[in-house]
Amino acid sequence: MRCRDVDALWDELRGECQASLKETVHTHLRACPSCQAVYEQYAGVAYCLSCLPLPEPSCDLAKKVVQHLAALKGAMAAPIVLSAISTPLGRLYAGFKDNRIAYLSLDTGDSPEAVAARAERRLRRRVVQGQAPPWLVSAIERFFSTWKVDDEVVDISNLTPFEQAALRAAARIPPGEVRSYAWVATQIGRPKAARAVGRVMARNPLPLLFPCHRVVDSSGDLHDYFYGLEMKARLLQMEGYRG
Amino acid sequence: MPSATPSGRTAAARTAAVAQTAAASIPSVEKFERIVDDYQRRLYGFALRMTGNREDAEEIVQDAFVRAYRALGKMSLEQRADLRLQPWLYTITLNVTRNRLRSKRPVNVALDALADPDALLRESNEGPPQPERIVEQNTEIALVERALLQLPMHLRAAATLRFIEGRSHPEIAEILNQPIGTVKSHVHRAVRILRRILGPQIGRFNPEGVPAHALS
Repeated sequence: MRCRDVDALWDELRGECQASLKETVHTHLRACPSCQAVYEQYAGVAYCLSCLPLPEPSCDLAKKVVQHLAALKGAMAAPIVLSAISTPLGRLYAGFKDNRIAYLSLDTGDSPEAVAARAERRLRRRVVQGQAPPWLVSAIERFFSTWKVDDEVVDISNLTPFEQAALRAAARIPPGEVRSYAWVATQIGRPKAARAVGRVMARNPLPLLFPCHRVVDSSGDLHDYFYGLEMKARLLQMEGYRG
Repeated sequence: MPSATPSGRTAAARTAAVAQTAAASIPSVEKFERIVDDYQRRLYGFALRMTGNREDAEEIVQDAFVRAYRALGKMSLEQRADLRLQPWLYTITLNVTRNRLRSKRPVNVALDALADPDALLRESNEGPPQPERIVEQNTEIALVERALLQLPMHLRAAATLRFIEGRSHPEIAEILNQPIGTVKSHVHRAVRILRRILGPQIGRFNPEGVPAHALS
């Protein structure tokens, strides 16, 4: 047996290998001091590695994992179902869960998959596609005749408290009227947060139902709208706004 | 191996008992907290050796458990019954580690260094290894940690599993999804490189006053 072969067999020999192989190698080692020395150094390396301590993870690692998983479980258990509905404004995509609407989007020509992906990012929940149940169709129909929505059919529970408060305040603006971002901010007891209110309106997951289109500049200028200023003006006009 | 079976038990009762233990040991998302408890330390130790950084290791372990949980949720009962949990968890942890280290910094080991361990050595002598904060304050242990971190990832994984985790070649082959021959050759190359890096340190290494020859 050559030194090279013996060298490669070192780790093999630590395990249960054939006795005859062991014997052959040991015979070589007895006759070959340089291989012997290398073997001892290899054993030294293995010893060094085996001495590395196993530090404990921080004590809340398991807790963090379990919390993370609990959030995941919630998201996995109840997906939001996204369905298309036709309305006086054209096609709408409505996402619902447990008999409440959690997401709404006007059709801007994107594929249903793209809308679902957007909803998933916005709500951080799994979104699947499905049929609109009758209660959803009639809730949307009712909205287009009354321009109001029943609190019972919408779900904004996974938004931040500030977001929820701002959207609820916007919902108190009567149809056909407008209020300023500052007005909403004052309503929710955060008079300096007009800009933050603007951000909430811009990210409103339930446009129309939570009427961010009724929130405008302090000067009365329509300011901006996710679906374009024309759409904002059109909505207000449909509601009876004379601005 | 248990050689004696209680004579009073019928064959049917034995089969039922076996089936019951088997069912109880099938991993599932319902029993996942238990899995986290059982494996978090081991996986953390592995991730720590692979990265040399506590924060990274913790994040890797969290991420690995989340992935495992998702994957388990999608598996059928048969798939879960066939699953070998421990190697599977190691594999996931290793994959997360790889992705993480890859995105964190470009590979700084030239390819020819793999064929020529001396090149790796020359490189390592030019300065301290970039990446990871060394965990241990104890100089002797820190030296070994640093040497391990200088190995290219695949050799580090092989050496860690073999010498720190004490896994057998077939187990490592399963974790790394490699043929046994490849595992053996990686382990051997890792040892050869470590021997050169550690050099004269090897004989002197004495972390707690234990005579080295007593254990080797």
